[in-house]
Amino acid sequence: MANTINKVCVIGAGTMGAGIAAQVANAGVPVLLLDIVPKDGENRNAIAEGAVAKMLKTQPAPFMSKRAAKLVETGNIDDHLDKVAECDWVVEAIIERLDIKQSLYEKLEAVRKPGTAVSSNTSTIPLAQLTDGRSDQFKQDFLITHFFNPPRYMRLIEIVAGPQSNADTVAMVSDFVDRKLGKSVVDAEDSPGFIANRVGTFWIQQAVNSAFEQGITVEEADEIGGRPMGVPKTGIFGLIDLIGIDLMPHLMKSLTSTLPKDDPYQAIARSEPLIEKMIEEGYTGRKGKGGFYMLEKGADGSRTKMAKNLQTGEYAPARGSRLVHGSAARGDLGKLISAKGKVGDYAWAVLGPTLSYAAMIVPEATKTVVGVDDAMKLGYNWKFGPFEMIDKIGVTTLIERLEADGLPVPEMLRIADGRPFYRVEGGKRQYLGTDGEYHDIVRAEGVLKLEDIKLSSEPLLANGSAALWDVGDGVVALEFTGKMNALDEQVMKIIKKAVPLVQKDYKALVVYNEGSNFSAGANLGLAMFALNIAAWSEVEKSVKGGQDAYKALKYAPFPVVSAPFGMALGGGCEICLNSDATQAHAETYIGLVETGVGIIPGWGGCGEMLSRWINNPKYPKGPMPAVSKVFEIVSTATVAKSAAEAKELGFLRHDDGITMNRDRLLFDAKQRALAMVDGYQAPEKPEYRLPGPSGAAALKLAVDSFHQQGKATDHDVTVAGELARVLTGGDTDPTEITTEADLLKLEVEGFMRLARNPKSQARVEHMLETGKPLRN
Amino acid sequence: MQVYDAPIRDMRFVLEELHNDDGFGDLEGFEDFDGDMIAAILEEANKLCKEVLLPLNWPGDQEGCHIENGVVRTPKGFQEAYKAFCEGGWAGLGVDPKWGGQGAPHALGKMVEEMTCSTNLSFGLYPGLTGGAMVALEAHGSDELKNFYMPRMASGEWSGTMCLTEPHCGTDLGMLRTKAVPQDDGGFLVTGNKIFISAGDHDLTDNIVHLVLARLPDAPPGVKGISLFLVPKYLPNEDGSLGNRNGAGPTAIEHKMGLKASATCQMTFEDSKGWLIGEPNKGLAAMFTMMNTERVAVGIQGLGIGEIAYQSAVWYAKDRLQGRSLSGVKNPDGPADPIIVHPDVRRMLMTMRAYNEGSRAVSAWVSRALDAEHAAKEPEARERAKDFVALMTPVVKSLFTDLGHESAHLAVQVYGGHGYIQESGVEQFARDARIAQIYEGTNGIQALDLVGRKLPDRMGRNLRSFFHPVSQFIEDNAADPAIGKMVGGLQQAFGALQLSTGHIAQKGLKDPEEAAAAATDYLKLLGYVAMGYCFAKAAKISAAALEAGTDDKAFYEAKIITARFFFDRLLPPVMAQMMAITSGKASMMDMPEDAF
Repeated sequence: MANTINKVCVIGAGTMGAGIAAQVANAGVPVLLLDIVPKDGENRNAIAEGAVAKMLKTQPAPFMSKRAAKLVETGNIDDHLDKVAECDWVVEAIIERLDIKQSLYEKLEAVRKPGTAVSSNTSTIPLAQLTDGRSDQFKQDFLITHFFNPPRYMRLIEIVAGPQSNADTVAMVSDFVDRKLGKSVVDAEDSPGFIANRVGTFWIQQAVNSAFEQGITVEEADEIGGRPMGVPKTGIFGLIDLIGIDLMPHLMKSLTSTLPKDDPYQAIARSEPLIEKMIEEGYTGRKGKGGFYMLEKGADGSRTKMAKNLQTGEYAPARGSRLVHGSAARGDLGKLISAKGKVGDYAWAVLGPTLSYAAMIVPEATKTVVGVDDAMKLGYNWKFGPFEMIDKIGVTTLIERLEADGLPVPEMLRIADGRPFYRVEGGKRQYLGTDGEYHDIVRAEGVLKLEDIKLSSEPLLANGSAALWDVGDGVVALEFTGKMNALDEQVMKIIKKAVPLVQKDYKALVVYNEGSNFSAGANLGLAMFALNIAAWSEVEKSVKGGQDAYKALKYAPFPVVSAPFGMALGGGCEICLNSDATQAHAETYIGLVETGVGIIPGWGGCGEMLSRWINNPKYPKGPMPAVSKVFEIVSTATVAKSAAEAKELGFLRHDDGITMNRDRLLFDAKQRALAMVDGYQAPEKPEYRLPGPSGAAALKLAVDSFHQQGKATDHDVTVAGELARVLTGGDTDPTEITTEADLLKLEVEGFMRLARNPKSQARVEHMLETGKPLRN
Repeated sequence: MQVYDAPIRDMRFVLEELHNDDGFGDLEGFEDFDGDMIAAILEEANKLCKEVLLPLNWPGDQEGCHIENGVVRTPKGFQEAYKAFCEGGWAGLGVDPKWGGQGAPHALGKMVEEMTCSTNLSFGLYPGLTGGAMVALEAHGSDELKNFYMPRMASGEWSGTMCLTEPHCGTDLGMLRTKAVPQDDGGFLVTGNKIFISAGDHDLTDNIVHLVLARLPDAPPGVKGISLFLVPKYLPNEDGSLGNRNGAGPTAIEHKMGLKASATCQMTFEDSKGWLIGEPNKGLAAMFTMMNTERVAVGIQGLGIGEIAYQSAVWYAKDRLQGRSLSGVKNPDGPADPIIVHPDVRRMLMTMRAYNEGSRAVSAWVSRALDAEHAAKEPEARERAKDFVALMTPVVKSLFTDLGHESAHLAVQVYGGHGYIQESGVEQFARDARIAQIYEGTNGIQALDLVGRKLPDRMGRNLRSFFHPVSQFIEDNAADPAIGKMVGGLQQAFGALQLSTGHIAQKGLKDPEEAAAAATDYLKLLGYVAMGYCFAKAAKISAAALEAGTDDKAFYEAKIITARFFFDRLLPPVMAQMMAITSGKASMMDMPEDAF
């Protein structure tokens, strides 16, 4: 058996198979993508090739970089199946038909080398049936790896090992999907629908049934069943529109045919005539003519959100529903299900049976409550898993209400005996096992979470916007804690204090947090307020304060490693640029987007980006090329769509690290920082030779041409002009040295001129009000 | 003695010289109102106010209004005065010509209002209420209602009221109980009791058009369930002649501290026929359309009282001979010097004068913005004007009425013991001025509106319309030798205002009580900075005029002296508001309720 997976074969180039292949390639691992030979046409690889070509155009993109796409080798199963012998793992993602899958496995058995892992991406067929008729060796190497769509972005993978599966093979695949593909593995049992789809399908069905029964509108259902329950705001009907209404009967059929007759799902599975009619007429959701919601375009180009009336089947303008108030709207589930009127009625009708059902499938579908919770959080983006929700309601209260309604009370709820499913004991998070005992939730090796550290320690320093944590081994983590992790004076204060603190008692600093995004930059709201009250000196102070703080990090006598993930924009990008190294999550969207709000980078981003491109060995020398490149990237507010792309754009250095699994980011960043400790020396201050006004004039020429073509607005020209002035060094010329301090001063001057410009103010304001840039 | 001659020179200064660069640009539709026209209108208004309204002011206060057999009688002479007022076209001064009005800008209209408020505040309320009702009707009424009622109200033939308050609800209109039941003909029957209804009934017009807030049968609770109805006192026939009484009438009039010639009525509506104005349940929004202009108008009432109090005090200070000047005899032929020679009397007179000139300058700015909201050519200017009006409305209402009240008391003080005697006429100012601090939203509510709504709105967007021009002015003029010292003072106060604003924005976000605790102090600070800005600008313009040579030397020199007084004596103490603001709520909220 192979110890590591160096090459993967994916068979089946549909959405899932192609997406899985892309993610393998994203991890830098070569992948063979095979599909059948098309019935007609000369190109026998057309299906797999077509899938890759389509993915290169798909948004959101399955590939993290163009380079990744080159790692996908395409072929067909008639001509190229023997290449499976080169692969350490074969993923089958073909049509959900047992006979076809079985016949493929038969062929695979002949060509694969023993020990090559084979897994199916099936979502419905039991493992035992899949391997029926295969050799013991094949059965040992076989498992189910159930990805979720789209494979790049959905973090959940359910892994099912059969009774004969070789533990090492399962471990090897699990480890690969975890570390390389960045997925969170939840171990599932070989039961129908596994975990997430089983609970999810029940939940959706119950929610749809209840909406029809209680006569509430889709808007109301989605309001009650969305945010207040910690469910994405699409709620129920919005979610069905998203996944496709026509998929519902398939899911139902598959589950009703495989679940035992006494499973509670059988009792609620039914289809509504209205929904059948919608599917018939092509109202299949967002991909079709519309669904429970529809955007109606008016003659004047305006768009009205329409909602389906479940009673009449007619569309009418969607009515914003504001039924849920107070703590019930803020996650107090007990309040929500006991609210008077339709809010409580509907919330209970959805949650009561769903939570009961979720409790029923432990240990049948997965051994622990943690598995169910993780599956729902990662697979359906629920904020809380079912057992976390039960803890919020109180298990005793839940049992009482279930009994009062004559609903089943599963064994797992009895086992709890009034105790919560989760508790913190001795700084460790524990879950309640089926044995009635509490067990530590053990993180995998190489997983370090700030949320765990917080259970057992206090911050070294903290204010409203940032905190410092001791994350062990002499490393301190700087966490942003403000709303949306926005950066403000408070953050800079903590940074300033962090430098002497780390210098005195620690070895290194990592910049890391566990919010939804690393940081989307400076607190624009605060800035807007300061601009509105003409507090120019305050604004200038905050620009300089940010520069000082970031440079203090840069020249601190210890290594600083930034660990971005999600959005790292503006000031969030600049802190990475000022770090010694970056360990980025693969899904990092980093960029200097200041021009979008009519300003320019003010916290050293200009100079740092110049350094990156000047020192890029593959890029032409001379004062102009690097300047032009940075100008192009920053003036257009370019954001990298992955960490890989960030390297191409210079936001990351070529030797910066990329972590595929979000849960491993802090550990990796910390290791990287520790590796730099020995012999660490702060960087030398850069000196630049910049083109000066003649260079700025050249850049202006380009902008003017865009302006003439109507691609740049008047104010774009103004903003670009200020950016050009900074990047070209102001009133310098290539014979003179421009220092970092000079560039920082130019940044402040340009920033302040723009900040005082009403058109820039209008851009900031528009961004705050609409979340979209204003083109003025 | 009640002495008045309209400060036309200063009015023309703030209208024609002070705000030419306010950034709103030229306004459309007011081209006819040039300098000559403005002068003519102000002169005419002054004449009417001096000759007709002022002589009725004190007698009207003495006589008061009376209710007999369900009919309210205004004091002697009011009917004739009202007739003269209407014949002069003053009832429709600011009303769109298509309704028969004069179409004058707010900026000019507010100056005329100042004159009527100075000379007879009680009288001014009758046409004032009609004006407010017209604004709401014009903005939200159906064409049918407007075509029928607007011309009759613009001519003054019929008057209007606003019926909001009920015995159990004033500030909190959400508790309103008056009902409106829909009828088959599309109308409604309105039933309920209202109190504190100014001009609710009187004998000046044949008919009275009540705008009444009431609830529809299926209305949601609270302020979202209030609708606005037009309910006439007499149901008019199609030709405008009067039909039957409409079950709407006064049951009593209030016995008040002041404003005695204005009939403040308790009203009963009993199955009174009404017509919906605007959308069902959107009555409060319809009411708020006129709230800005009305609140500015109440601010003007404060200014009006302040002006006549000042003029009456000046007359007395020059007339009253007591003691000798500390710097030597000034009136050797008399038994004593006039009291105007005394610094402390000067302090009072200059204070009143600076309040009035400062308020007038700010009022002209805000009134111009009221016009620019609709009439500015550039959409950005209209937006800016709207923001500015939103921000400054509570300031104008609250600050001007506080200052007007203070001026009235200063006038009493200048008169000494005689001021306390009714016959002097000045104690009436103190009593009349008091209500303006209370009605149309108490001054406390205004301050809450400022810090709770106007300040945080859209990340401080409203503030920009004020802070940016002030900041720019300071930057541009700090080195100006003529006004540099004043600009220095303005800069300090502006800095205190900026810090206070930031403080409130930050604290108020976490704890609304913190913002509320700072509200009144903050409003004052902002208002004084606004006056300071206007004074510094006025001084700059005056210095330039003097430099260039002017035949109105006395006016500009006096303006500079008043400005200096403001910066020397009035602005510095207000900067200390910042200390009160930043001290937080603790010392007022810590006291246990039982300890009171």
